[in-house]
Amino acid sequence: MANIKEIKDRISSVSDTMKITNAMYLISSTKLRKAKKMLLDTEPFFFSTKAMIERVVSHLPAETENIFLETRTDIPERERRRGYIIFTDDKGMAGAYNHNVLKLAEEHIRADGDKWKLFVIGELGRFHFTSRNMPIEESFLFTSQNPTLHRARKIAAEILEYYYDRKIDEFYIVYTTIHGSTCEARFEKLLPLDFIAQIRAEAPPEGMMLEEFLMEPSPSAILDNIVPNYITGFIYGALVESFCSVQNSRMQAMDAANKNAEKMISELKKNYNRQRQAQITQEITEVVSGAKALKRSKEAKVRKSERTST
Amino acid sequence: MSEDAVKTFHLQVISVNGIFYDDEAIEIIVPCDDGELAILAGHEEMILAIYEGIIKIKNPKGEWIIGVVSIGSVQVTVENKCVVIVNTVERPEDIDKRRAQEAYEFAMEHLMQKQSIKEFKKSQAGLARALTRLKAVSKYNN
Repeated sequence: MANIKEIKDRISSVSDTMKITNAMYLISSTKLRKAKKMLLDTEPFFFSTKAMIERVVSHLPAETENIFLETRTDIPERERRRGYIIFTDDKGMAGAYNHNVLKLAEEHIRADGDKWKLFVIGELGRFHFTSRNMPIEESFLFTSQNPTLHRARKIAAEILEYYYDRKIDEFYIVYTTIHGSTCEARFEKLLPLDFIAQIRAEAPPEGMMLEEFLMEPSPSAILDNIVPNYITGFIYGALVESFCSVQNSRMQAMDAANKNAEKMISELKKNYNRQRQAQITQEITEVVSGAKALKRSKEAKVRKSERTST
Repeated sequence: MSEDAVKTFHLQVISVNGIFYDDEAIEIIVPCDDGELAILAGHEEMILAIYEGIIKIKNPKGEWIIGVVSIGSVQVTVENKCVVIVNTVERPEDIDKRRAQEAYEFAMEHLMQKQSIKEFKKSQAGLARALTRLKAVSKYNN
């Protein structure tokens, strides 16, 4: 059994750790509230942009050429160069959050041939891939803290640059979504836009009159404007949603840590009290037996002196 | 309703971080590639690409609402509706002049130096953003 001082030290160290986890819990919960509002604000933009792209694409004149209309299906499956944008956090302490994202990303990377490039957001993901000798794009350095539109725009510009230069044929995005209080890692195709290909593939039904309307300055210019906007919006959404998820996971992890710490402290306290009682009992026994011994020796002395005096 | 009541249309201005305007409006002026374009009620159906600049919205009370926008698009539908989707939209009073000035100087400085095409495009876009914001601030903020 540990001695009383050791237990005391342990209790104070556990409660110190608990102070930290408790603070992290509170910070995460306020950040989560803020991020959830941001997420709600982006939704109308997202849906209306998508609707507008669909409308433009379904009314395009047949001869329109634009990079966003290409499907890249002419390149064989194994030959396609794929870019993966992976959203991780800068820190751990968020339960299985980072692990889930990385696992999902790795599964797909393994299955998809060898022509890939990784664009990792968040320090933890970068560290994970470099330690596994999987090369990541060095210049792509973004943090996942405090998502801003400015950062989303920069990320989108970087990605579109690769797409325009035809260095990458397909972009995929791995991020975490949040429903209520459960987080789920998601894998989605970002570019080329699947719904564009879908609309293009569906031929308009026979005899249907296509309404015509003005597209200024040109259909292609509209696509050039609206698709990057959509990508920026998508990335901003993913940044915000991942941020939400990480705060939520961290909140849950810290809550569990708090509960565990409480349990540990109560266990340690019980132990401590038991030890203390045992110590007191022992001390009392010592005092009592010492007193008894003293008394006995005194009595013996008295008896001896009585004997000598008589 | 009297005959000379001004016709209105439903206007939505949506940006990534929220809805800027969602109400009836008399007129909207948007910045296009080759100048400004005003849209009134009952406009024919069209889709427009818009660029960095200033949008002006006239609400049914006849007041003008100013917004500084980045690139985006405008859609007018037959149901007398107009949707403006942009990356960002700000009111001139929300713009921090000093920050805009700094962004302008930063972009200028970068443009002076030798850069790759990618960097050039980035600084150019940054410069355009900074300039429209500065213009809006000096014009509408007193």
